[in-house]
Amino acid sequence: MVGSPILFVAVPLLAAFLIPLLGFIWKELVRIVPGIVLLYLLILSVSLYSQVLQEGTIVEQIGGWAPPWGINLVFSPFTGLLTTLMLFLAFIIWMYSYRFKNVDFEPSKKYFILLLMLVTGSIGIVLTGDIFNQFVFIEIMSISGYALTAFYTGRDSAEASFKYLLMGSLSSMFLLLAIILIYSQLGTLNMADIASKAHLMRPEFRVLALVFFIVGMGIEAEIFPLNGWAPDAYSQAPGPIGAAFSGIVVKAGIYSIIRVTFTLFDVEGSMQFLVLMGMITLVVAEMAAIKQNKIKRMLAYSSIGQMGLVLVAFGIGTEEGVFAALFLMVNHALIKPLLFLSGSYLVFNSTEKSIRELSGLGKYLPLTSFLFALGAIAIVGMPPLSGFWAKWSMLSAAANSDMILVIGLVLMVSIVEIVYYFRVVNRIYFFKKEEDVEPKKPTLNAMVSMIVLGVLIVAIGFYPDLITSYLHEASESLMDKGKYIQDVLSAG
Amino acid sequence: MKMNMTGRKINNYKTDKVKKVLVLLLLVVFGVYLADVLFSLEFGKQFFTDGVKDFYLTKGPMDLKVSNTITAIIVNFRGFDTLGEVTVLFLATTAMGGILYKKRHKVGARTVLFPSSQIVMAGSKILFPAIILLGIYVFVHGHLTPGGGFQGGTIVATGFLLMLLAYQDYTVSHKVLTIVESFAGITFTVIGLMGLIKGSTFLENFMPVGTLNNLFSGGLIPIIYIVVGFKVGAELTGLIYTALHEKD
Repeated sequence: MVGSPILFVAVPLLAAFLIPLLGFIWKELVRIVPGIVLLYLLILSVSLYSQVLQEGTIVEQIGGWAPPWGINLVFSPFTGLLTTLMLFLAFIIWMYSYRFKNVDFEPSKKYFILLLMLVTGSIGIVLTGDIFNQFVFIEIMSISGYALTAFYTGRDSAEASFKYLLMGSLSSMFLLLAIILIYSQLGTLNMADIASKAHLMRPEFRVLALVFFIVGMGIEAEIFPLNGWAPDAYSQAPGPIGAAFSGIVVKAGIYSIIRVTFTLFDVEGSMQFLVLMGMITLVVAEMAAIKQNKIKRMLAYSSIGQMGLVLVAFGIGTEEGVFAALFLMVNHALIKPLLFLSGSYLVFNSTEKSIRELSGLGKYLPLTSFLFALGAIAIVGMPPLSGFWAKWSMLSAAANSDMILVIGLVLMVSIVEIVYYFRVVNRIYFFKKEEDVEPKKPTLNAMVSMIVLGVLIVAIGFYPDLITSYLHEASESLMDKGKYIQDVLSAG
Repeated sequence: MKMNMTGRKINNYKTDKVKKVLVLLLLVVFGVYLADVLFSLEFGKQFFTDGVKDFYLTKGPMDLKVSNTITAIIVNFRGFDTLGEVTVLFLATTAMGGILYKKRHKVGARTVLFPSSQIVMAGSKILFPAIILLGIYVFVHGHLTPGGGFQGGTIVATGFLLMLLAYQDYTVSHKVLTIVESFAGITFTVIGLMGLIKGSTFLENFMPVGTLNNLFSGGLIPIIYIVVGFKVGAELTGLIYTALHEKD
């Protein structure tokens, strides 16, 4: 026994409560402690994950009550993969922003507490096996998100944060309604218990609960008509937080939708619905991305588009499709943070953060520009980088399910993607530098974290076998609903 | 002309109107469907027989010796949720402190500037200890009577609100508030981890449960509720204090 999944929530909470006190002792501790916590949890998560792959899912009870009476955490190959991924990204983002606001103690203290809680909330969403508990973690995640969006306390960031707050409150309301509906029908809140009893629910209630869930979580997962908050929040939040949103928060939202549609309810047509919503999201977002003239907004729309692609892949519904979706998720979780992290250094000193100001920076910030270009090439799916394998597996999954229209649309949208990403890369390398732009050299810790991400993208591109076996395990664990129910309900 | 964040002009009164009508229509359709489903959910009727409720109703008083079943559910059966809710409050104060950091007035210079009358000032001095006492009573007796940590903590915070409104120069030390809320949070988490060490699961009850209806009963429940009371009291006081000292 290396440790238990509860530590993923308990330790960061303890750290978050401790940080204000540690600040009285030595101010630097406020920065160091979150890093130590995240590193410890990352190691724990890797070791637990290798244990889970051999010995099967760990179900952790809380309060000494067996499910369905108590709350439980489920560390399966699927949730474990996401937890490890999130913790890895969180550590990278911490390393990147280690020097963040180092002149001002109060805000930096709050920043690290909120960043830690943003990660904890997302991990809690993934690990928990109880829908109300998931709701609580969603609250933790989104409140940290609102605060971090408004972190620069300007007029625009306040507007972005308020937008996010309104949408987020709407999302909580829908989720709560869904939970109330389910409880009123089945008298239980445990996911496995709901999954085993869902057929007892009257169909109209089942559909309504599913719709509420998808609307509620769709706001966090940036599905098309519900993603109005995302571009503003991404562009107004500090750079590393944009990376955290695209790498961690959105993944938690997608996880929740997938858990509800795959495990909780068997509603006919929900898969087709996912494909449809995913396609609309993909097309609309990429069309919007090509019109943007600010770099972070462009990245935000591209992130929304990628989430649409992930939903389409999940909606294919075969194991191959789920595998492709997970591959896309991992891929996006590595590339988009790299783009955000390097992109925010490229526009570090500008007030407008527009694409125009990137012109010619390839000469002045060679490594940062190179990493940005690498990310751009990877995300559009050029071989031999990791994005290619993800997109290829998705297309072949679609081909095996005879979804010709999907393939056509995805390929067409990819061209759009290539256009707007290469437009930026072209500007970086082949344009003359704007005169009023002062390039800012990244600090060492930021450079290291970007290089780690870049190396991973190249490594996965050349050796996709590094992760495919894990992804296969994860997709099997997601598809096997019976085993999930049995694992949870037979525990304790 | 106003610009929105994408830089496009907000214009075209006519399309706006069409949009509004469309949205309204969509809302009506959605509302009718929703109402139809929700009205078929007859209120108060029992839909399920084998849910978790009976387990809670029997285990609460029998095993945990807690007469207030709601408290048993909140703090014991679903104690993990409560830890999460406490964190949500903690985050709200942290967020507010972080965002309003630069906009804080010096002590004594506040948004509410009119002086209170003699009656309010004298009366609040008498009421303040009574309110604090009531708050403490509510969260200490959380497992016996209605109420608990959240309610008690809120009552304590209203006491401080009264003092802050009555006296312009009344101050609460931010450092003390931080220490109280941090210690309360740490205690809650450490109690949970103790359960993991002494028993086998997080937040498991490892204390003797005593007899039903005694003040010292229910194992960990009163301790957790007292901690929650302190935390909620300190946090809400901090929120009120920050909001009152905000520059406009």
